[in-house]
Amino acid sequence: MSETKKRSRVPMAVWQVLLGATFLVTWQMGVSAGVMDKFFFSRPTDIAARVAQMFITGTIWVHLATTLLEAALSFLIGVGAGVIVGFVLARNAFLAALLDPYIRITNAMPRVVLAPIFLLWFGLGIWSKVALGVTVVFFIVFFNTFKGVREVDRVVVNNARMLGASERQLIRHVLIPSALTWIFSSLHISIGFAIIAVVVGEYLGASRGVGYMISQAEGVFDTTGVFAGMVILAGVVLLVGVGVDRMERYLLRWKPEHTDEVKGQVS
Amino acid sequence: MSPPNGAAVRFTNITKSFPGYVAVQGINLDVQAGRFLSVVGPSGCGKSTLLNMAAGLMTPTEGTVEIFGEPLQGINRKAGYMFQQDALLPWKTVIDNILLGLVFQGVEPKLAEERARTWIHRVGLDGFADRYPHQLSGGMRKRVAMAQTWIVDPAIVFMDEPFGALDVHTRLRMESEILSLWAETNKTVMFVTHDLEEAIALSDEVVVLSAGPASRMVGRYEVGLERPRNLIDIKTNPRFVEIYGSIWRDLREEVLKSYERNEKA
Ligand SMILES: Nc1ncnc2c1ncn2[C@@H]1O[C@H](COP(=O)(O)OP(=O)(O)O)[C@@H](O)[C@H]1O
Ligand SMILES: [Mg+2]
Repeated sequence: MSETKKRSRVPMAVWQVLLGATFLVTWQMGVSAGVMDKFFFSRPTDIAARVAQMFITGTIWVHLATTLLEAALSFLIGVGAGVIVGFVLARNAFLAALLDPYIRITNAMPRVVLAPIFLLWFGLGIWSKVALGVTVVFFIVFFNTFKGVREVDRVVVNNARMLGASERQLIRHVLIPSALTWIFSSLHISIGFAIIAVVVGEYLGASRGVGYMISQAEGVFDTTGVFAGMVILAGVVLLVGVGVDRMERYLLRWKPEHTDEVKGQVS
Repeated sequence: MSPPNGAAVRFTNITKSFPGYVAVQGINLDVQAGRFLSVVGPSGCGKSTLLNMAAGLMTPTEGTVEIFGEPLQGINRKAGYMFQQDALLPWKTVIDNILLGLVFQGVEPKLAEERARTWIHRVGLDGFADRYPHQLSGGMRKRVAMAQTWIVDPAIVFMDEPFGALDVHTRLRMESEILSLWAETNKTVMFVTHDLEEAIALSDEVVVLSAGPASRMVGRYEVGLERPRNLIDIKTNPRFVEIYGSIWRDLREEVLKSYERNEKA
């Protein structure tokens, strides 16, 4: 079994690289041959050169740092609030029932429409973006925490109670670890969404940040600049994702095959 | 009418109903302190329900549970409970599972770990301290559960079909271990099983419940086999055969009744 895995893994990576290369080469040649308009599609080599230039000259850092700071703040605040509210509502049936319709209504609202109002409330600086990011992250984490705490194994809870756990100890030793699986499945998604949300916020009105950079490039019809911004964003999301994976693997090391289970829950 | 003093657990007129279903009805039972008492009855008759009420995890619909003469309110703080299902914390290692009760009591971590190590040795899990439950066999998980329950030294121990899922060999070894553990202490044990042989082999006293719904106590039997017992040979002991025969006559009818009910349902 492991042998077939090994044998098929190496060629698969080759195939994957090949596919990507074909795509890029086709794109490059399509533009060079004049089949695709360079004005709208730029060229992979130009985009790569632009990305490299941005890092070499250092113009990207202020934008990247701003976007990452906003995303990190949205993420931290959103996760913190989501976990706490998720816990409280999962442990309090009355509150959960009372707030249920309002949570649904709020969550049903498309987040982007909040951007203008946040711009009015919090100004052009980072906090309007953070606010937008928080509204996205909060709900994802909240729903998952709620579910995680609700679906904790009754027998394990009873066992801990018989062993003398106080309410606090129960939360710390049973409910949080049990909810972690769900919380983690939400972290993967919410990190990506936090970045998207703050970039959208920047795009709509800001003075720095990757979203601002993209909107500036768009304003002067600099397609290469727009693509370069997209590439950098994708790279950042991937890197952060790897970090979360690492942390998850460590924190959920007690699970037999946690990766499959968690990754399956994209909602 | 009133049973002698020294009951560790006393059920008085206990009835437990679930929506649309009466599980047990009119149970009067006292478990004398320091004794090993088994409850047997067909599957679904309410054995676990009875333990859950004695543990304070469920409240009776009617009647009272007293623990050492005090009415039980909330969780039974004098009791440990080995559950029928897997109840270990899957995110904690063997040693962390075992010392959990000590952590809850606020025992200093160093001391708790030391005591947990002696228990790991006692239940034969040397070398497995840092494994997670899913890396252990079913028998090993039961050993962890045993150590986890006994390390806090509860005066009463409830055990709910603890060895039901084990193979015959492992089961026999665990039963012997339970008996030697119990012999070292003066704990009261209330042991639930659907296996009459196991009940007689281990206990001082066997209580038979009738088939549900509205299960009642059918009989109560003094086992009277001397201790320490050799579980390997005990089944051929004439006294064992005799008591087995007399309990089985009562239990048999209950099992047949429960078959009939299941077929109708
Ligand atoms: N929480 C519950 N809600 C509804 N019915 C229950 C509940 N717990 C147990 N029962 C019912 O009560 C009866 C006795 O259950 P149980 O005590 O688990 O039986 P046993 O342990 O003897 O096999 C069963 O018919 C079961 O379906
Ligand atoms: Mg049961």
